Amino acid sequence: MKTNLKAVLTGTHTLSGNEACIEGAFAAGCLFLAAYPIMPAIETIERYLKRSAEVGATFIQMEDEISALAAVIGASWTGKKSMTATSGPGFSNMMEHLGLGVMLETPCVIIDVQRTGPSLGIPNRAGQADMMQARWGSHGDYEVITLAPGSPQEMFDFTIKAFNFSEKYRTPVIVISDEYIAHKKEKVVIPPADGIKITPRRYFKGQKDKYLPFKRDKDFVPRMVDIGDGFKFHVTGLTHDDKGYPIMLEECQEYNVHPILWKIRNHVDEIVEFQETGTVDAEIVIVYYGATSEAAIKAMKQAKDMGIKVGGLKLDVVWPFPDKKIAELAEKVKAFVVPEINYGQIVSEVERCSYGNANVIFVSHGEKGINNTDDIVSAIKLALKEKERKKGIIEYRSQAGSS
Amino acid sequence: MNPIITAFVNGIKKSGLELSNIVVVSDIPFEPEVIKEAGVDFFHVTRGRAIAFGTGLKLGNPDLKVVAFIGDLMTLGGNHLVHSGRRNMEMLVICVNNFIYKEIAGTPAPSVSPGFSAFSTFERPFNAPHLANSCGAVYTARWTALHTNELENSIANALDKRGFSVIEVLSPGPNFYKEINQVDSELLDFYYKNSVTKNNEDTRNVEITPEEKIVTGEFTDKEKSPFIDTYNAQLGKILGDKFIPLGGQSGRD
Repeated sequence: MKTNLKAVLTGTHTLSGNEACIEGAFAAGCLFLAAYPIMPAIETIERYLKRSAEVGATFIQMEDEISALAAVIGASWTGKKSMTATSGPGFSNMMEHLGLGVMLETPCVIIDVQRTGPSLGIPNRAGQADMMQARWGSHGDYEVITLAPGSPQEMFDFTIKAFNFSEKYRTPVIVISDEYIAHKKEKVVIPPADGIKITPRRYFKGQKDKYLPFKRDKDFVPRMVDIGDGFKFHVTGLTHDDKGYPIMLEECQEYNVHPILWKIRNHVDEIVEFQETGTVDAEIVIVYYGATSEAAIKAMKQAKDMGIKVGGLKLDVVWPFPDKKIAELAEKVKAFVVPEINYGQIVSEVERCSYGNANVIFVSHGEKGINNTDDIVSAIKLALKEKERKKGIIEYRSQAGSS
Repeated sequence: MNPIITAFVNGIKKSGLELSNIVVVSDIPFEPEVIKEAGVDFFHVTRGRAIAFGTGLKLGNPDLKVVAFIGDLMTLGGNHLVHSGRRNMEMLVICVNNFIYKEIAGTPAPSVSPGFSAFSTFERPFNAPHLANSCGAVYTARWTALHTNELENSIANALDKRGFSVIEVLSPGPNFYKEINQVDSELLDFYYKNSVTKNNEDTRNVEITPEEKIVTGEFTDKEKSPFIDTYNAQLGKILGDKFIPLGGQSGRD
């Protein structure tokens, strides 16, 4: 991959999360975006269009999100790093081709700027309720890599990481942000082009007539070629063999699909990323990601000031989930406090990985404002007071809320 | 060998295009033997989405000739058909019309006329060439699978066009269709014999009805700026020297 110097806006800029996301994409070498306009992801598309001219990138506004992701997967096979950006309603439309991307093992990046839901929800209000959809939204068995940035700077950094993961593991990667981060303007530092780590596509280097589009290497990742280079290959969304020919047998289902999961599962330790703060001697650990990061960090400080031993675990990569880390902490801490702008999604993963060793308290965040820490701090106090090991998830209810 | 694929391979030969420049994207699973025979890069994708996928292929590498073989063109693929016609996306769509969901249940497709199949429908059908023409296609044609020569020439002509082209091919499903329609293996023959070729016919007059002969021929053939030219012209005008026109550049060194 040749570095396009115009693509990397080296320097310090004031950017919104959506804008920083696109700068990250260009820095990663993205050359194609197909999308359908939707709130609150629209500024990504605007930014892409504005900057595509000098970068030499291609943009198309498709007729819907179904076709947008289809076009993205197609473009990726021509050798161009490709992406799309959307929000909940469009993300639902994309589930069809998230599955196709997984089955065709095609690198691409999907940005989901979460608003509230279900259905149309509130278009300009942050939500975090697409977390499980990102993991399980398309039918069939698959593993997905999902990154959850918590600031405009992380939007930039994580979008680059997303492209790198997608090339390394030949799979679609989701960056799941939200309206709050998308519209928040902050200082974003863009390093020099040669300071940005880019994972190149894993190309097949052998003879043209020897190419098998789904022949796996030791990492279970098959090699790619560009279409139009004369390899005369076949790929299908049906269960297929190494040649990419459909085989309608259970043995082939196992042969084809199980390794698609292994290529992620076997590399969980290399993929999972998180930021730990003061967990060494913590009694309570706040587990947070995305838009709740700011409030969680503030609440942590407030609780510390009250003399409570509280630490934090910020999930940078949400899928695959940091099972081991949560399990390890669960043996040391009294309780986890999990604030999310939804009615309980990632918290169930925390509870699953705690194996009953720590209490898990869920805080439905956001009603009092994204930056409000009242409920998180109260939940920490509740966690401290709780003497018994409780089964399942304890749902914290603020006095304002119904109970 | 599927007669449509034979016509496709011969059509490519007649067009003089390099096989390596042609990519087929389809929502119909083809037999591996057929794929080998065609000798082109081949994508089998989700139902009705071949045009959308093909759009990415074409914009990713404008040097490619994209051919979309579609079964679910006017149902799942309807919106993609409409908008690609509007954009004049450079692509050849070959709509394989067997009037029926043959592998599934034998339910009628939206292209079948009342009274045309045993599982008759009471809904009005689409007239595929007229639909495509109305959406802006620069080339439309209809043939039966037995119009071997005409189909080959038509494919060669369409591959020569710069723009959105649609060829409808009437072809009975070989297995299931027979049983439920109680029509014997001569169905293909039946279509052929019951057709009349009227080149340049107004697409409004080519609706398929049980009462009249099936009209075949090349109907639309016009020139219109294809999507990539319009894209380059428009963005070039706005952005001036800064703009890098969409060409065949790949992301690779």
